[in-house]
Amino acid sequence: MGKYILKRVAYMLIVVWAVSLIAFVLLRAAPSDAAVLSLPDTATEEQIEAKRTELGLNDPYIVQYGNYMLGLLKGDLGTSIMYGYSCRQAIMSRLPATFNVAITSAVLILFISIPLGITAGVKQGTGIDFFATFFVVLLQSMAVVWVCILLLLIFTVKFNLLPAMGYKGWSRPEYLVMPIIASGYRLMTSLTRMGRSGMIDVLSEDYITCTYARGMSRFEVYTKYAFKNALIPIITIYGLNISTMLAGAVVIETVFNIPGIGTMLVNAVNHRDYPLVQSTLIVTAVIFAVITLIVDIVNAYIDRRMQLN
Amino acid sequence: MDKKILLRRMRRSPQFVVGGILVVFLLFIALFAKWIAPNDPNVVNTMIRLKPPGFVDNGVTYYLGTDQQGRDILSRLLVGSSASIFISIVATVAVTIIGTSLGIWAGYKGGIIDNIIMRATEVTMAVPTLTLGIVIVAVFGASIPNLILIMVVNSWNGFARIARNNVMVIKNREFVQASKVLGAKSFNIMWKQIFPNITTPLIIQASGSFGSIILVESSLSYLYLGIQAPQPSWGNMIADCRNFLPVAPWTVIAPGVALMIAVLGFNLLGDGLRDVLDPKQRR
Repeated sequence: MGKYILKRVAYMLIVVWAVSLIAFVLLRAAPSDAAVLSLPDTATEEQIEAKRTELGLNDPYIVQYGNYMLGLLKGDLGTSIMYGYSCRQAIMSRLPATFNVAITSAVLILFISIPLGITAGVKQGTGIDFFATFFVVLLQSMAVVWVCILLLLIFTVKFNLLPAMGYKGWSRPEYLVMPIIASGYRLMTSLTRMGRSGMIDVLSEDYITCTYARGMSRFEVYTKYAFKNALIPIITIYGLNISTMLAGAVVIETVFNIPGIGTMLVNAVNHRDYPLVQSTLIVTAVIFAVITLIVDIVNAYIDRRMQLN
Repeated sequence: MDKKILLRRMRRSPQFVVGGILVVFLLFIALFAKWIAPNDPNVVNTMIRLKPPGFVDNGVTYYLGTDQQGRDILSRLLVGSSASIFISIVATVAVTIIGTSLGIWAGYKGGIIDNIIMRATEVTMAVPTLTLGIVIVAVFGASIPNLILIMVVNSWNGFARIARNNVMVIKNREFVQASKVLGAKSFNIMWKQIFPNITTPLIIQASGSFGSIILVESSLSYLYLGIQAPQPSWGNMIADCRNFLPVAPWTVIAPGVALMIAVLGFNLLGDGLRDVLDPKQRR
């Protein structure tokens, strides 16, 4: 087990390093000059040249890359052009809003989709199954934007129950309801689907028939044997998609005007704040890598066979 | 697989039939949108802003109403389908070819090549679709080729992984070993012996990717980072009229429903294909 975890950690570091390299190259490939962008329009040639030297843009690429990597290792992500303070501070101040929505949503999803998917799988071909499958297919075809709009139409325009936009943290949870639904519906549908098909597959295995033959009750078979095996694909999909939820937040945060990472990224792009864009890319990759690592370890505990690969 | 069995299964799968009809219908609209559209999608007429569906002005009927600049929503909807569907088809074809080739190569050669390609799939998976899309647009600008590039970078890894895992199984079969012994070149073995045996999971993966590409494109266009005005797209139509939701909900409902129907069509076709091509099924 220890060896397996070490190997996964090594892979994780490679992935993060590669993303940081891509971020570095993309930033250098950008058509605009960081020195020009960080100065007012009235700046003279000399001032721009001085700024270039100050930012280290006149150094050879290899030196620039070395400094960049040293900075990253110290946790220094550079200075945001748009805000004027460090990218790290900018990201840190906006992560809580994004996390509040994504994590609440991620937890709620588990309580809805696992029971729903497993019930649908166990009761394959019945009304409940049809209902669940129908909704899954319909919801999976909906764009995030469209779900946001529908929620607004129902809860704000029609019934006037929830505020249309804004963010007040947990002191005013009514602002969070629609963002949480919009952020989770997609993963909920995939998990329900996985739970259903996983349960159907497992229940047709020979060892399940065996457990019946040994006189176990249906309930025991479902909870003790089938559920555990149906859970593995669910955990994998769940882990892979939590970070996708963080990214999907871009649209949701824009629609509901939430001061999170997503709105910041769109602003940074519109202001050509490349250092901030680059840092957001790296931070997202780190979050993803950590979640993937946790998923791999949890899966390896549940299914020992995985450690062999 | 036998053609007769395939055809029978296709007819028996409701998802395949419904999805297939929807997709053919969409392709027809996307191809002929310019001629079907009753009005010019970009003509602005501020006298008839935000009129409800069925509104008649100067003998012209606006079946789905008009938007905040008095443009005909139905025409914009029809013309808006072209770019989305074009991107989704070109990107799916490109990504299938690139991902599959790399996956077969990795699976067949193994060793260091396999390791490099698989780590590369992990790297592209570590950056969520929309984040990478936004970054690419930020650096290279928003254009249709760049949108296709975004989709390719984002979804090649799925194809590569599926192809690779299937090749790993097939490459140890006797017929592949036999070709090797007979002196066939690696390229020929990969292309003529292995590839025909792994097409089913790849077709299923490809059919699923049309819908997800349309969804990503709509998100980017909603953020004005996708298809650029004045060219209409479902995503930027929603963005344009989002603030008029309380007074003119039809301006947003129309593109939203269009998006849903398009993705539903592709998803149903994908699910149907999965059933049709399932080797476990008997009939």
